[in-house]
Amino acid sequence: MTEAQDIYIQLESVSKAYRVAGQTLPIFSGLDLAIPKGDFVAVMGPSGSGKSTLLNMLAGIDRPDAGRVRIGTHSLDQMGEAARGSWRAHHMGIVFQFYNLLPMLNAAENVELPLLLKPLSARERRVRVERVLDLVGLAGRERQYPGMMSGGQQQRVGIARAIVADPGLLLCDEPTGDLDRASADDILEMLQTLNQVLGKTILMVTHDPQAARCAKRTLHLDKGVFVEEARAAE
Amino acid sequence: MSTLVRQTGIMIRVNLLSLPRRLAISLSMALSIALVVCVLAGFLALAKGFESALAGAGSPMVAVILGGGAQQENGSDIPPDIIRSLEATTGDIGAVRNSAGRLVSSREVIVAVDVDMVGDDAVRTIAVRGMDAAGASMRDQIAVSEGRLFTPGAREIVVGDQLATTLGLTVGQSVRLGAVDWMVVGRFSAHGSAFESEVWADLDAVRAGFDRQNTVQSLRLRLMDPAGLTRLQARLSTLGTVPLVAMTEADLYAAQSGRTARLIRLFAWPLALLMAIGATAGALNTMMSSVSDRTVEIATVRALGFQRFAAFVGTWVEAMCLAAVGVALGLVVSWLGFNGWQASTIGANNARLSFQLSVTSDVAIVAGLLGLAIGALGGLIPAFVATRLPLTAALRARG
Repeated sequence: MTEAQDIYIQLESVSKAYRVAGQTLPIFSGLDLAIPKGDFVAVMGPSGSGKSTLLNMLAGIDRPDAGRVRIGTHSLDQMGEAARGSWRAHHMGIVFQFYNLLPMLNAAENVELPLLLKPLSARERRVRVERVLDLVGLAGRERQYPGMMSGGQQQRVGIARAIVADPGLLLCDEPTGDLDRASADDILEMLQTLNQVLGKTILMVTHDPQAARCAKRTLHLDKGVFVEEARAAE
Repeated sequence: MSTLVRQTGIMIRVNLLSLPRRLAISLSMALSIALVVCVLAGFLALAKGFESALAGAGSPMVAVILGGGAQQENGSDIPPDIIRSLEATTGDIGAVRNSAGRLVSSREVIVAVDVDMVGDDAVRTIAVRGMDAAGASMRDQIAVSEGRLFTPGAREIVVGDQLATTLGLTVGQSVRLGAVDWMVVGRFSAHGSAFESEVWADLDAVRAGFDRQNTVQSLRLRLMDPAGLTRLQARLSTLGTVPLVAMTEADLYAAQSGRTARLIRLFAWPLALLMAIGATAGALNTMMSSVSDRTVEIATVRALGFQRFAAFVGTWVEAMCLAAVGVALGLVVSWLGFNGWQASTIGANNARLSFQLSVTSDVAIVAGLLGLAIGALGGLIPAFVATRLPLTAALRARG
């Protein structure tokens, strides 16, 4: 088990249930999780196992009914909605399955969105946007709109948007779920680079075993409980 | 620039740039607002035109004396001995005197006369005003636009430009008014005021032609100064038992216009407000559709850390922009369609009064504000809904 001082993401006795059609649907009952800084964790599991709920709680989009969600020095379960929004803007990037790019903004403008939340000048923002687009292999495509790009290219823009504010944590929700194999491999390679070279902590929800193999660890979630842990071969 | 301003700015931009995706429903909102603005502007222009026609006719420096307790020329009667007594007064009675010391005055009668329209079976009632020689000069902003003024004692008439145009009267033409023929010797303009709906002729000729011997319905006097009316009223109160009323010409016409203009507005506002309620419901529907259309985008930027306020303002500004388009369209259409449009109604003297609809700046402002209010109200609830969208939608939705 990881030493306590290295733990970056920690869930302690987290419980969560939803009310559906008058019925209480429990998702987690006392879930624990510890992920050290710089780790790359894949979370797999069948539909309804709680993967999305886990991701939403780590993103501060959803709150646990009970228990603690701590990331770095921040206890998300103690924060109000505005504080969680501000925390997301400064400490976390999200990569969506369907990219979630704004179609009326070009690539550079989409990537710039998280920087609008920071006190940066227009020039500083432009430099950062050009740098990350170059990093994801989209230099020269700043003015292209999402509709003019392939799925793989759109996801690269999505990754550029997620890392442009230099967050410590990347949450990826099925980042290759809408891509062909070749594009998926490119994206996974990029995530590995971000983890290994830039030291980003990555938590990736996926159904794809091949994608999971790119992570350092794979956690299997079933009915709200981590049932298995696999480590990648060195 | 604060981050909140930047967030709001980008949300506004994203919303407006995504409008083409919702073109039909967005246009329907703008058009429904344009319709409300157009209808209200039309009615207000009607009221404004009517008021302008009568307000332009009245001078604050001309006093009108009415007799018999009447508040307007129709029904008024001033006995000849009263007029003689007034003309015989000396000293300051508030009215201007000429170099010979005589009061500058005009005795007047007004007769409603039916005229056959040229090339039409319709009969139109017009106002023929008989006046003393000083009558025309006592009216401000009157200019002979063609021909000349009538000669005292002759059966000659000068016709207001609007009426001459409507009736097709030309200088040199003979026209039958009542039982006798009259010669049109001139036309006059009065800047579109109610006077342009009148026919002027010599007082005695009118009284003879329409069997109104010795009748005087009003006496006009030019005031020395605005306070002259008070001195005149004081003097009138000493002239016997006949009830006499003196007021400025401006007040006389304002009283005539007020009631009709109020009636027009009384009809216009409920109609416009009813339509506005419908348009607000339409705006609400449009903006709810807009929020629904942008669910993923709103939730995505909120997931990135954008504040609720940015989502609220972005949606609200979109509603206001569509309303502004509707307002602009409505005002342009109403200006092109209504401004200067000729209308007529029955005036206080039972004769037809012509006037032009007038889409003035205050009409545009009032109608425009109503249109913007529709956008503001219709966009409010959807803007609030935009701030309450579940962010979990962003993580799973196909963008």
